[in-house]
Amino acid sequence: MNESEPAKIGPFSRRTFLKSLGTTAVATAAVQAQTMAAELEKVNAEKTIGPGTVPVTLKVNGEMLKLQLEPRVTLLDALRNYSSLTGSKEGCDRGTCGACTVMINDVPVYSCMKLAIEAQGQAITTVEGLAKNGKLTKVQQAFLNRDALMCGYCTPGFVMSVTALLRKNPHPTADDVRHACSGNLCRCGTYPRIMEAAFEASGVAKVAINKTEVIPYA
Amino acid sequence: MKAFEYATAHSVNSAQEMVADNGQYIAGGNDLLGLLKEYIVDPKILVSVKSLPGLDRVETGSKVWTIGTNVTVAQIEDHSAIRKTFPGLAQAAAEVGSQQIRNVATVGGNISQHSRCWYFRHRDVLCLKKEGDMCYARHGENKYHSLFTGNTCISPVVSNLAIAFAALDATAVVQRAGKPVRMSMAEFYAKAFENPTAHNSLNPGDLVLKVEIPTTRTHSAYMQTSEKHEFDWALVSCAAAANITNGKLSNARVALGSISPVPHQVDAANEYLEGKTLDEATVTHAADMILHGAKPHEHNGYKVPMAHALIRRTLLKLNA
Amino acid sequence: MPDPANLSWPKETKYISKSTHRVDAAQKLTGKARYSSDIQAEGWLYGMILRSKWPAAKITNINLEKALQIPGIKAAILIKGNERTVRYYGDEIAAVAGTTKIACLDALKAIEVTAEPLPYVVHEDEAKKPDAPKVWDDAPNLSKPKVTEKGEVDKAFSECATVVEGFYTTQVQLHHPMETHGNTVSWTDEGLTAYASTQGITSVKDGFAGSLQLEQSKVRVITEYMGGGFGAKFGSGVEGKAAAELSKAAKAPVRLMLTRFDQGLAVGNRPSSFQKIKLGASADGTLLAYQLDAYGTAGIGGGGSSEGGGGGANFPAPYIYQIPNTRVSQATVAINAGSARAFRAPGNPPASFGMESIMDDLAVKMGMDPLELRVKNDPNPVRQKEYEVGGKRVGWKEKYKKPGSSPGVIKTGIGCASGSWGGGGSKKTQGEAQINPDGSVEIRMGVQDLGTGTRTVLAVVAAEVFGLKPEQITVKVGDTNYPPGPGSGGSTTCASISPTALDTCTNALNELQKQTGVADARGENWFAACKKLGVTPLVVQGKFQDGLSSRGAGGVQFAEVEVDTETGRVTVKKMTCIHDCGLIMNTLTLESQIYGGTIMGMGYALYEERVMDKLSGALLNPNFETYKLTGLSDMPEFDIVLINMPERGVIGIGEPSVIPSASAIANAVANALGVRINSLPITPAKVLAALGKIPAPVS
Repeated sequence: MNESEPAKIGPFSRRTFLKSLGTTAVATAAVQAQTMAAELEKVNAEKTIGPGTVPVTLKVNGEMLKLQLEPRVTLLDALRNYSSLTGSKEGCDRGTCGACTVMINDVPVYSCMKLAIEAQGQAITTVEGLAKNGKLTKVQQAFLNRDALMCGYCTPGFVMSVTALLRKNPHPTADDVRHACSGNLCRCGTYPRIMEAAFEASGVAKVAINKTEVIPYA
Repeated sequence: MKAFEYATAHSVNSAQEMVADNGQYIAGGNDLLGLLKEYIVDPKILVSVKSLPGLDRVETGSKVWTIGTNVTVAQIEDHSAIRKTFPGLAQAAAEVGSQQIRNVATVGGNISQHSRCWYFRHRDVLCLKKEGDMCYARHGENKYHSLFTGNTCISPVVSNLAIAFAALDATAVVQRAGKPVRMSMAEFYAKAFENPTAHNSLNPGDLVLKVEIPTTRTHSAYMQTSEKHEFDWALVSCAAAANITNGKLSNARVALGSISPVPHQVDAANEYLEGKTLDEATVTHAADMILHGAKPHEHNGYKVPMAHALIRRTLLKLNA
Repeated sequence: MPDPANLSWPKETKYISKSTHRVDAAQKLTGKARYSSDIQAEGWLYGMILRSKWPAAKITNINLEKALQIPGIKAAILIKGNERTVRYYGDEIAAVAGTTKIACLDALKAIEVTAEPLPYVVHEDEAKKPDAPKVWDDAPNLSKPKVTEKGEVDKAFSECATVVEGFYTTQVQLHHPMETHGNTVSWTDEGLTAYASTQGITSVKDGFAGSLQLEQSKVRVITEYMGGGFGAKFGSGVEGKAAAELSKAAKAPVRLMLTRFDQGLAVGNRPSSFQKIKLGASADGTLLAYQLDAYGTAGIGGGGSSEGGGGGANFPAPYIYQIPNTRVSQATVAINAGSARAFRAPGNPPASFGMESIMDDLAVKMGMDPLELRVKNDPNPVRQKEYEVGGKRVGWKEKYKKPGSSPGVIKTGIGCASGSWGGGGSKKTQGEAQINPDGSVEIRMGVQDLGTGTRTVLAVVAAEVFGLKPEQITVKVGDTNYPPGPGSGGSTTCASISPTALDTCTNALNELQKQTGVADARGENWFAACKKLGVTPLVVQGKFQDGLSSRGAGGVQFAEVEVDTETGRVTVKKMTCIHDCGLIMNTLTLESQIYGGTIMGMGYALYEERVMDKLSGALLNPNFETYKLTGLSDMPEFDIVLINMPERGVIGIGEPSVIPSASAIANAVANALGVRINSLPITPAKVLAALGKIPAPVS
């Protein structure tokens, strides 16, 4: 690596890296960013690590998580089984159900198909990191209002997918919601409600996709 | 998955040195982690190519566009200029996996991904593709398999992007033995047509650097049919590209996926389309030519009429 | 004041029959809800199971030594012994516990198993043959049929104006709850505690005690949150026993959740069915005669020497309609595959598919409107209402066209089908209410919420009785230390817990008023009354009371579809679901159940199918890549109508909603195409085959 160009860190520059942390917490983020950058540099050094455990630092929901992991440990395994972040669920462990969906730099990914070491130096958001001070986010509140959950096991993944969609596209069409959520499965069958919740969270006041009605027998 | 070493490469040369004979490159990791988790591959080292300089960009040009190997499928789908210039490529990208997969999957990974045959992917079935002694699919459950092949294995190519690239006459640039080698999509997969253990023509250590797309064709389109409406592999996919001047086709190319180990292309059909007007008769004749010689197995005969429909529809979509 | 001796549901309600948000939604939405698979007990170990890679084999030796040498591995055990016969791909062989998942994975690879492969058979038609390999040495693969006959069938057929015959088949469907089966178990000298992903904490407690020879007083089962069951999660299971034994051996709690691969192989499924049906009617459409000759597989649980065979592959026949002359013959066949378990409305979806398909085939042959044929022959007055409401709602008269008459490449069709389910409440249900001096309330019941909204229903009833808001009620379920509740299955939960909660809360209110002297402690008087309790909370029990719930609910669904006749793909455009369920407890979560059942039925109709491979004996799709669940992109428009019948009391709705969906979709597809696809799931391949578009195989 060319040492005169420390701004180049792996696939992205330090500027975009800082940007990805969001603008609200730049002051503290700057300090953290330096730590993260140092970690990232270590990871990105062109040297072979493993197969035994190596130190891994993950920035999850704004906090540094320092772990000792083999390179083959997935991000999902690291969150659920090496720390107490069990909000992200394991449904298939093969990138097919979406229960493990987290955001990395605001982009939804399957944490079961991501090596933990490769998630270093990036801002990881899990479902635990959305609600601040006990207040549900718009998306979570819309899920609650619309009963867009039953057993709730797929729910964290859907919440992440819808949250990521609305960050990228605040006023999605029905097709946009379908496209963004096709990577999440729900066996209880909450999909119509999730569609409604996505619209409600996007600020569309009334959604008339489906009809429900109670009528008397007599 | 078994334990492995891990390294991040910062140059193509060092990537190739580190991967050596018993390593695997990793970028998005979707395909590789699936293989690792089922113990189908067993590399000593994973070499990340995500930090290779200059390979994460889409570069436009008057004659050729270049798409770096690390460009993600989501970037292609969302790229406004690609959507305008190569709509068929953007449409193919949009049908890849799910949003979560598209966000990390890369161009290089998508075109060099391994077979999805359920025997190949099965942890306890040792099929021909894994150097076993028979193609189970040929005599067993073959609803997702090929209509064409030059060998005993009937596992098809499933890369959406490869089908679109083939129709656009794109070239993959592959680093081989210290220097770049240029391959058409036909060449990129040719080995899989002949050799049951191959998924493509890459040798161990070969690394896809980028894909170059000529701007020759002004129109392109992609369509696929799956069992589910999204997040499902194509049963058949089809891409077409051409110039259309005064309603007449030139330089037309049609490619199909999921029916052959290679993007299925028939030169004679492409030649037939030269100078033709896009109408039902033309596209029907082209579809007949493209599917001539198809060899359906017990459970995949439906792919013949399905492919026929997709060829016709994709060609007509060029006019849209 | 409510009279405890003569309990009845209130007529004027604030919460019952209205919509209340799930009381535990926020927990689930923020990741705070702890599912059984999330439990991280002090010093917990990860557990995994090694399964047979043979469809049938005689195991001669299992060596765990190398597994035990893997760093981090704390225990390894045999499941069902060292020398045994395995009878399906996925049969459990051994289990390991270790500090990490990767250690366990390495350990499974290190276990050495020597076995002599045996002949096997994995397809029903092959297994039926006299010379097929036998799944069980001492019993036939194909059972003797169980035959029942009513009336004079042959004579009746000879008098019918129209007779149709058909062969209808349904696939093996897998439950695939999003959370797999499993437990976190701690077994010490003091006793056993299991955090179970279960639909029945009481039956799981019984299972652990029985399989481990433990006193029931030493077993506690906890299910705070669980990720779906659909009928397959009632027992402690092989995986539960293994986790317990690993825990004992390793002296640590063990979390052993199945992998998705495991889930596909070994913990139940809906049996297949192969139904040869003959149906006849008089000229006016009155059904006169019915004959069924059916078999299906329940995996290794099928077949056997008994009449009808084992495993639960039989189904109610004839389904729903009144037919005076019937002859029913049902057998089951064993194959080398995982056994069946109860699956949402067991028996009913296959029963519905066969019956409703041939009903439409009969209507078409007679030139009769299939909805009229149903109205004419369905004896159930509530469904009569549902046909009427639904028919108007979908515009049946305008939309129903002659089959196949839809023009163009993309053809549209409409179909109708019905279902029926028993349900009812469990008399053994008990509950407990604790009223604290500060006015806070706890309702405790040993039931579990598998996603249906059980907690919320309890909160709704308590809030209604006490004049409080549902969110003011703390509902505690999912612990065998609470008074015993019902298992959550068969659409019986709501009908069990609601009357029990009404009784419990009414008793508690009466006791509160008695102790404090407050004449009406409800609503605005609540907190003042509770304060008069001093420092001691009031704990009052209650139990199930008759007359507040009922059984027997049905539904009629209409499907509208588009079929692409060139690609063969079916798109469901709209589902209209008319259901009755007595007194509605919580409209919001009830609607969700109907969405859910219908969507599961869509999967049965179009996407889901377990694929067994004759060449390897393996299950080819123990995953979500090729075992396809309906996704959000497959969603049609919905119109859900609930027939309110408060006079009947509470009736469950979980099962009825899943029954008719696939049949209605199949009838709509047949209506669109003018040709029937007689086999589920209706894939593009089957549509194109039915349209005669597929060339013959070359190789």
